[in-house]
Amino acid sequence: MWEAALTALEKFSNPVHLGLLAAGVVSGTVIGILPGLGGIACVAILLPFIYTMDVHSAMVLLVGSLAVVHTSDTITSVLIGTPGSAAAAATVLDGHPLARQGEAARALSAAFLSSLIGGLIGAVFLTLSLPIARPLVLLFGSPELLMLCVLGLSFAGFLTGAEPLKGALAACLGLLLGSVGAAPAEAVYRYTFDQLYLMDGIPLVAVALGVFGVAEVIDLLTKGGQIAERIPLGRGWLQGARDVLEHWGIVVRGALIGVWAGILPGIGATAGSWMSYGHVVAMARDRERFGKGDIRGVIGPESANNSVEAGDFIPTLLFSVPGGAPAAIMLGALFFYGIQPGPRMVQEHLDLIFTIIWSFALANTMGAGLCLFLSPALARLTWIPFRRLAPAVVVTIFFGAFQSSEHFGDIFALLSLGFLGWLMKQLGWPRAPFLVGFVLTKPTEQYLWLSISRYDMDWLWRPGVIALGVLLLLSLAWIARSKGGGEASGEDSSEGVVVLGKVPSILFTSSVLLLFAAALYEARSFPDLGAIFPIAATAPAVLMAAAQLVLEFRATRPPAEPEIRRRTRLAVVYFATLLLFFGAIWLFGFGVATALFTFLFLRFAAGMQWTYGLLYTAAVVGVAELMTWLLNLYWPKGVLLGG
Amino acid sequence: MKTISSVTLSRMSRGLGVLALVLAIGAPAGAAAPYYEGKTIEVIIPFPVAGGTDVWIRTIAPYLEKNIPGNPKFTFRNIGGGRGIPGMMEFALKAKADGYMAVVSSATNYFPVLLGDKAAKYDFRQWKPALVNPVGGVIYASPATGVKRVEDLAKAKNLIYGGISAIGLDMIPLISFELLELDAKGVLGFKGRGEARIAFERGETNIDYQTTPAYNATVVPLIKEGKAIPLMSFGQLDDNGNIVRDPAVPDLPTVPEVYEKLKGKKPSGRFWETYKVFMPSAFAVQKILWFKGGTPAEALRAFYEAADRLARDKEFQAKTEKVLGGYPLLRGDRLEKTIQQAFQIDPETQRFVRDWASKKYRVKFD
Repeated sequence: MWEAALTALEKFSNPVHLGLLAAGVVSGTVIGILPGLGGIACVAILLPFIYTMDVHSAMVLLVGSLAVVHTSDTITSVLIGTPGSAAAAATVLDGHPLARQGEAARALSAAFLSSLIGGLIGAVFLTLSLPIARPLVLLFGSPELLMLCVLGLSFAGFLTGAEPLKGALAACLGLLLGSVGAAPAEAVYRYTFDQLYLMDGIPLVAVALGVFGVAEVIDLLTKGGQIAERIPLGRGWLQGARDVLEHWGIVVRGALIGVWAGILPGIGATAGSWMSYGHVVAMARDRERFGKGDIRGVIGPESANNSVEAGDFIPTLLFSVPGGAPAAIMLGALFFYGIQPGPRMVQEHLDLIFTIIWSFALANTMGAGLCLFLSPALARLTWIPFRRLAPAVVVTIFFGAFQSSEHFGDIFALLSLGFLGWLMKQLGWPRAPFLVGFVLTKPTEQYLWLSISRYDMDWLWRPGVIALGVLLLLSLAWIARSKGGGEASGEDSSEGVVVLGKVPSILFTSSVLLLFAAALYEARSFPDLGAIFPIAATAPAVLMAAAQLVLEFRATRPPAEPEIRRRTRLAVVYFATLLLFFGAIWLFGFGVATALFTFLFLRFAAGMQWTYGLLYTAAVVGVAELMTWLLNLYWPKGVLLGG
Repeated sequence: MKTISSVTLSRMSRGLGVLALVLAIGAPAGAAAPYYEGKTIEVIIPFPVAGGTDVWIRTIAPYLEKNIPGNPKFTFRNIGGGRGIPGMMEFALKAKADGYMAVVSSATNYFPVLLGDKAAKYDFRQWKPALVNPVGGVIYASPATGVKRVEDLAKAKNLIYGGISAIGLDMIPLISFELLELDAKGVLGFKGRGEARIAFERGETNIDYQTTPAYNATVVPLIKEGKAIPLMSFGQLDDNGNIVRDPAVPDLPTVPEVYEKLKGKKPSGRFWETYKVFMPSAFAVQKILWFKGGTPAEALRAFYEAADRLARDKEFQAKTEKVLGGYPLLRGDRLEKTIQQAFQIDPETQRFVRDWASKKYRVKFD
């Protein structure tokens, strides 16, 4: 085994190999920075190039890019509160408030360092687990996997902030949204209203970018000015490194949670990073700062999301079962070379396995270095008036959402969820449980379904289930004992402050109540197994929403200040602008609409001189068109300018 | 495999004759150039990047580029999601009968049509298959079921099969169990065949099937360790459309053979009718590259002849063995009748299958 490891390492002394790795790292880094583009986009861009290479070179290139996506996707999460890929949404919670307080450098360096260490731990774990990975994977049956998912869901309880009821409702909203589309086993389509688009469910990218991206952009625009005050960046870098060293326990635990999430089928990087964030909050003694810029809230998810990819390789290589979407593409690439991974992989292609592991480890190191190198320049973005950044950010978000299924529905979902996310933010509804609920719906429901149809109710008595059940009860007791989080306050908090007055709160809660009631009514028509989940999500939610409504009526909230009212009006205007952009794409096609939107926005909203505006517009359109070409995307032709 | 047969030769000479006629009428000079000279063929893939169908076409495309006169370039466009329907609709609506746009299909695209799904508004009968690639499937069981040989199946109790959905490829094994009257139940909701196999390995299920390439790579080792017993294959079609043993696993009996072993008579009845309709489209003609009907014969012929050449190309065979699953890449015209027959489902069988799926597996049809 160790010989094979050294032979594989020797290959990297070849400049071609190293060059490919560097090419992978650079492309992965760039794609990670762009909001909404993640591992899948990486592989899709590189795939045409690998068809002419030998399998080792191809794996170096692919793994090199995949390994660093979750390092660089932190950058936009921290700087503009827009996740660089769905898995970086958890980092927004604490990373972005830190940036607003002028501590972007600290957050970024802590994030890169924990990404690096997490990735390396993942690589080591992958190596050590090769001999025992098979029994490890076979240890967990569907019922145990179900309990692990429920345990992950229970972490959402720690993320509910000061008002647990709102948090629980948000989680139920997420569960409900997650059950849109084909039920597992395809017995029934739920809440699709006969729309083909909804049958596959709502893409994660649109949800993460909407709730955390669009909502944040609107919020930043209405606040005006720049994201952070100009302060020297120097101190932050070292501070970030010190933070990581101080919280080394979080890094190790986070990395292991990540590997775990990778090994288990269907959990993935997004759920892994949220679980890691949840565990950090759960184990913290003082929770006042979470959501307002606690560095631990950056270290937790970041150490997990890189190691997930390492964990993903285990089922991919040993069972031929992809651990996640990027791994599925890797598997396809291996088939292309006539390699069918499986039980014999370790005997027949050990050298290839080690090529993958080394690529992963080296790419992690390179990627973290590259990001650190880029960061000072990127961190300066927080000093630019945000209105000037906004068009580029909006175009990228639209682009990232659209590439998930190349359907206008993606953008529609993005804007609707952006509006919902913005409302939640203004009304003190935590968005974290919402996303956790959404991400974990599918695996939870799948394993619930499998457990019941395989074991009826006997699955409840399996020793693994009982052990995990005890753990679940303990964690619930823990949540109940300790209050969810501190009283949120202040401008910089990413969650949990009610800024709009009493009436909007009441209206919003009533709408949520109606929505749950309608969904519950609809769920009665689903066949039994297909109804379990929507009913479990909506029945308690109806009661909770009613209780929440009572609280809203009783609450004494001061009416919104004039400043807030002005901002709300502004927000509506900006949302209308985004809708207009969407309409323009529909009418004129993506290129023309992007040019129009960017230029007009710069001219009228940011007051930029038209010469600079033209240059900026040309750059945005150029990059968008280049990415369109690279990703082989097909924007529908404009209705008016078709042809 | 056929060499360049007299049929092809006569076709070629006829083609030359036509060409001469065209030239005589005064077509522009250079009309003698191959149809695909300097052209691009856009292939729509109604599935995401790196799925089975995507890898299949991308793997064989470079060889087609080399073997089609005029060396056209292939470009690909993945339209994933929606059970493959959006991708198929795109082809149905946008493609012209000029041979410059093709679509690849897989069993996922056939089942909605066979089951009468209203959303699948495309009609294979108006298209021409250019290339076809079969795949096979093998059923195997766990020794824990007490099954040592295929004959023991009749006595086996509580067989549990893990599948994805009752109206996808899993229908073939499920229908086989019904036909053989086994005491088997399907547990559905796995995300892929691989996940179902993991469930088999941990003892959650005890009877399973894998496509032949996956079977060779992942199940054969289990058989060697004594953890799995190979039982039967779904079979393949001969040129007359009869179900015969699968050349990839010639030692294993087919489902109808097993029926004869267990029951001592030829299979018949509704489940057998269903099997005969659905098995070919799921396996025997699983991957098809289509053009629109009315595509110039010259364009289609370029593909047929490329398939013939590749059948004799040792390098191609070796390089693509895993992707093609050890089966030849077949010319579309030889199977055209079989394929079109496969899409002829009589209304009674259709009703029967829909009833079975909704009663036994609670599938809701619109």
